[in-house]
Amino acid sequence: MVSFHDENHLSRRSLMKGLLTTAGGMAVANWGALTHSQSIAQEARRAGKRCIMLYMEGGVSQIDTFDMKPGRPTAGQFLPIQTNVNGIQVCEYLPNIARHADKLAIIRSMRTQSVDHGIGGYHMHTCYPSSQRFPHPEIGAMIAKYCENPENDLPSFVKIGSGSGIYGAGYLGPQYEPFVVSDNGQLPAFANPSVSADIQDRRGDLLNFMEQRFAEQRPGEPFAAHRTSELRTIRLMRARRAFDVSEEWTRARSRYGDSTFGRACFTALKLIEAGVSFVEAGHAGYDGHNDNFPVHKGNLQELDPAWASLLQDLQERGLLQDTLVVWTSEFGRTPAINFQAGRDHFGRAWTVVLAGGGIRGGQHYGASNRDGFEVQENPVSEGDLFATIYRTMGINPRVRHFLGSRPIWATPEGSRPIQPLLG
Amino acid sequence: MTLYLLPILSLTIAQPAPFKDAKVLHTFLWNSEVVSAVAFIGNDKVAAANRRGDILIWNLPASGDKTPDPVRRLIGHTGPINRLLVSPDGKTLLSASNDRTVKFWDALKSDGNPGTIVMNDGYVRAGVTMGVAKIPDPPPPITAKVVEQKPIREFTGHKEWIWGLALSRDGKTLATGDDAKQVILSDAQTGAERRRWKAKHWVRSLDFSPDGKLVVTAEHFPFLRDGDSDVGLHGWDAQTGEMKFDATKQFEASKVLAVGPTSFRFSDNGKNLAVCVGHIDRDGPAGKVFLLNPATGAKVRELTPPHIRGATDLAFHPDGEHLVTCGRDRAVKIWRLSDGMQVHEISLAIGDKKKQGPFTPILHAISISPDGTLLAVADSSGQVVVCTLEDRKK
Repeated sequence: MVSFHDENHLSRRSLMKGLLTTAGGMAVANWGALTHSQSIAQEARRAGKRCIMLYMEGGVSQIDTFDMKPGRPTAGQFLPIQTNVNGIQVCEYLPNIARHADKLAIIRSMRTQSVDHGIGGYHMHTCYPSSQRFPHPEIGAMIAKYCENPENDLPSFVKIGSGSGIYGAGYLGPQYEPFVVSDNGQLPAFANPSVSADIQDRRGDLLNFMEQRFAEQRPGEPFAAHRTSELRTIRLMRARRAFDVSEEWTRARSRYGDSTFGRACFTALKLIEAGVSFVEAGHAGYDGHNDNFPVHKGNLQELDPAWASLLQDLQERGLLQDTLVVWTSEFGRTPAINFQAGRDHFGRAWTVVLAGGGIRGGQHYGASNRDGFEVQENPVSEGDLFATIYRTMGINPRVRHFLGSRPIWATPEGSRPIQPLLG
Repeated sequence: MTLYLLPILSLTIAQPAPFKDAKVLHTFLWNSEVVSAVAFIGNDKVAAANRRGDILIWNLPASGDKTPDPVRRLIGHTGPINRLLVSPDGKTLLSASNDRTVKFWDALKSDGNPGTIVMNDGYVRAGVTMGVAKIPDPPPPITAKVVEQKPIREFTGHKEWIWGLALSRDGKTLATGDDAKQVILSDAQTGAERRRWKAKHWVRSLDFSPDGKLVVTAEHFPFLRDGDSDVGLHGWDAQTGEMKFDATKQFEASKVLAVGPTSFRFSDNGKNLAVCVGHIDRDGPAGKVFLLNPATGAKVRELTPPHIRGATDLAFHPDGEHLVTCGRDRAVKIWRLSDGMQVHEISLAIGDKKKQGPFTPILHAISISPDGTLLAVADSSGQVVVCTLEDRKK
């Protein structure tokens, strides 16, 4: 385990943090609204919230998971099972998740606009359509900005695997860009230093000294951003062992499932435990235009133990109350089954699930109609979902930033948090 | 000299190419669901099953007659049907389903309760995608009068979807395999379980060797993502469940099995063992077909050119000399076993043959009539296609 209380470590970190604040301040000032966002950040940080996003790449089928239609022509090939909450049923291939239904807020009335992979991925990561051609930050960057722990050496936004798309920090600036690791959570090879820790420290001190002198003469934005990245890298190098879960994984594997996604979920747990504000773990392969059912069945058998064990471990560690777990995708899948026994892209009525972080679990919110073609009650937009997530995280959903002189809000106008889900 | 040779040459040229007159005879429309399985009952009846769990039986008309309606509906399954099989004596039809049962039906019985079916009561598939603003109105119903029948018995030893279904050549032993990796041998008459063992992955197909001593399994755990699939081709001792060969390893380097084997069968004479792959759709020539050594599983030959996007089923022709396969490219290919040459192809392409893509309905399964003159195809577009394999002018 990495020690975060090493005295020597703290003194060096304090030095670097001071530099980072200066550099970050200069950088952020150019993206605007620093004072406004800083006060919100202080409030959000006090809340101490963290977030894990489990992103089902390709578009997960709502009817084959949480919005089943038994007996209807759109039912598909899976059967529902009872959960630990009366009135909530889930797919038979989610038996472990069924035991955690009391933690789940199941939104069955997502109605979204972007129903292809690229645009859907963007929209469900930023809550804005890509057609705006505006550098909106993805959700991880926003949460990193407002919820990061400034005392932590680890990146505040980690993305495990890049399959769900990398949409970036946009107008929030490069210091909130995602730190992307491999699908199973392991760091790239270049993250392993070629020299000893002592030599690294001496080199870092020398670099700081020289750059501080250099920066005094050159207070511009590009230098500040570059320097921020350098400092983040140095800090990460110190804390990189947090990404190495190999030893513990041998014991956790049987519960999480011996899969890449299982390991990603376990790594997410360890990173959250180590103070990372936002971790995204992607699970690939849901784009079931052909043979949707065996493909979803295979994927759900990986998803189920990993997600359920994550919730269980967060709870047992006392982290679930402050850790929001979001299960989402770029869109849902059609109720109608096509000629390839598949389901196609569908945004008119699909499902997202929230758990932890103070969310009121054990409930459905909204509903689709009898065969699942339309939202029957309480439609939820991308903006509404993000407003709910931001509110849960202690972030004002209407926090305003500026790109130059142009104001831009964290969620689109009219977005409303889903009050019945908020604890 | 030349004059003497000419008659010999002309004799050679006049030799008819096998199956050159193979063509579509009938198309039975059943636009209710994906048609997933098909089997001949004798030479004059075709049974087909769909993903909703329905089975219909058609009596084949005499040549030139109008395409008939189905005459029988077999009621009992509550989940998609993956395989149909007729017993060697032709008297029993078997069906394997996601409802975890194998059901046995009287293949020849013609009486039962009168019923009416709607042949096109599924959702209109076209247009119910993406950001559709309105669900298309259902088309006017097309109905047919049928006799409804129930199963004569069922086998309930599985707890997962059943894709593997085979009978020993004497008809006495049933082999079934499921998505829990279970292979079960049972008494085909009483249903008594004789033995079971665990395969490596989900069982997609299995078969008995003609002497009944070996059971082969084709296995696959499917993912959409590339290079992350789990595949198995195994031979097992039918008496002990002990693995006799693992034919998977010889294909590992080439990854040609990655899209999943779909059908794995012995020829009735025991001289050939064939497997085709294409459980998951994949761009390009993914639908490989291989002949394997029936005793060791070693690759004997790859049949080329492969099906595009995947091969879905295969059947040995009763003549013992040919293999027939179908695929996601909507092609039926007829291969000569002696040299692996493709001797004929029946294309059921929709529109331009070269433009059959991932959204084109696929051919799911095939069956050849016992006399070898007819071929039936389960077409996922909601129809059953019957082709002649002989020159009907003869």
